[in-house]
Amino acid sequence: MIEAEATAEMLLMTGTFRSPEIIEEPIEQTIVRAVLEGEHDRFGRLYEMYGPLVHGVLLARVPRDEVDDLVQDIFLHALRKLHTLRNPTAFGAWIAMIARNRAMDFHRASRETVEVEENTAVAKPTNRTAREVLDFIRQLPDAYRETLVLRFVEGMTGPEIAARTGLTPASVRVNLHRGMKLLRAKMGVTAT
Amino acid sequence: MNDKYLWDRTGEPDAEVQQLEELLGTLRYQPRPLEIPATINIRRKRTFIPLAIAAAIALVIGAGLWIRFASSNQRAIEQARRGPQSTAPPLETPSAPKDSVAVAPQGQAIYLPNPRKVNRNFVALKSRRPTQTLAPVLTEQELAQKEQVLVALRLVSAKLNLAQRKAQGLPQVNAIRNQHKIG
Repeated sequence: MIEAEATAEMLLMTGTFRSPEIIEEPIEQTIVRAVLEGEHDRFGRLYEMYGPLVHGVLLARVPRDEVDDLVQDIFLHALRKLHTLRNPTAFGAWIAMIARNRAMDFHRASRETVEVEENTAVAKPTNRTAREVLDFIRQLPDAYRETLVLRFVEGMTGPEIAARTGLTPASVRVNLHRGMKLLRAKMGVTAT
Repeated sequence: MNDKYLWDRTGEPDAEVQQLEELLGTLRYQPRPLEIPATINIRRKRTFIPLAIAAAIALVIGAGLWIRFASSNQRAIEQARRGPQSTAPPLETPSAPKDSVAVAPQGQAIYLPNPRKVNRNFVALKSRRPTQTLAPVLTEQELAQKEQVLVALRLVSAKLNLAQRKAQGLPQVNAIRNQHKIG
């Protein structure tokens, strides 16, 4: 009897402890559900998480002075329309699309007043300012400029960009490399 | 250019990429608190689609039942109408079958000679067996003869009515119905 108890104890002690499997749902899903149930304050977490993404998407398209206000507008719009989001895990792709559409609306509305600040010949490439480099990036195709801004301005890595925007890592990788190649060529061309 | 460093900032740092990071990093997003207006209208997720589907299903089922009930009702009424012509007893409506059987009007008592027969028909109606038309199928000649008999009866009835009014001294109504049918 004692031996049996000892064996049982040994088995219990040596057996690996297995906690019940908990399937964690993505945080976006939890937050979206909570916001839709009335906890509006929790939307601030999504704002923190996806603020840089929206900022980057806008910075690649609209003048920098307008970006901060547009970021706020877009998040408030997203909050109002949150009930239309079918898949909360795709919040990033959804809000990035809202930001792109808003940038297009911005250009449509202010076509006459927006000045195009590009193609400025730079004599000293080593002393370029951030705005000048940003202007070069803005001359690139959409997919490249957005990825480059998120990488260099917002400091995201390739996998982070993929996770936030909903793009595949392979697409982001291609966009980064081709975009970098084009940027280098553009900067080199203007420098000479 | 170090591709790995460009991709996920691992491996040997690339000088050109680092320079771009430093330069463009000055434009990085500066978080501002999100000001959510107190009056913002945030709607909840719409759940009317499942409700609409359920309502549509219920409607279809209800309509089906109603049509079925109405057709059976119509059949019963038609059967009841044919009742006096056939040997089957008359039935009013299926909604009150017991009354039509148990409390038969005096004028219709003649059609209910055998209670067992009534019960059998009642059971048949409830069990939705195909109703048998007991009315004989008449040929065209028979139908014409039947029509002739009916017209003659109407004419006789009108003549008797006329004679009765004459005997009672009532004003004459110069209308013998259906007279035109016999020329």
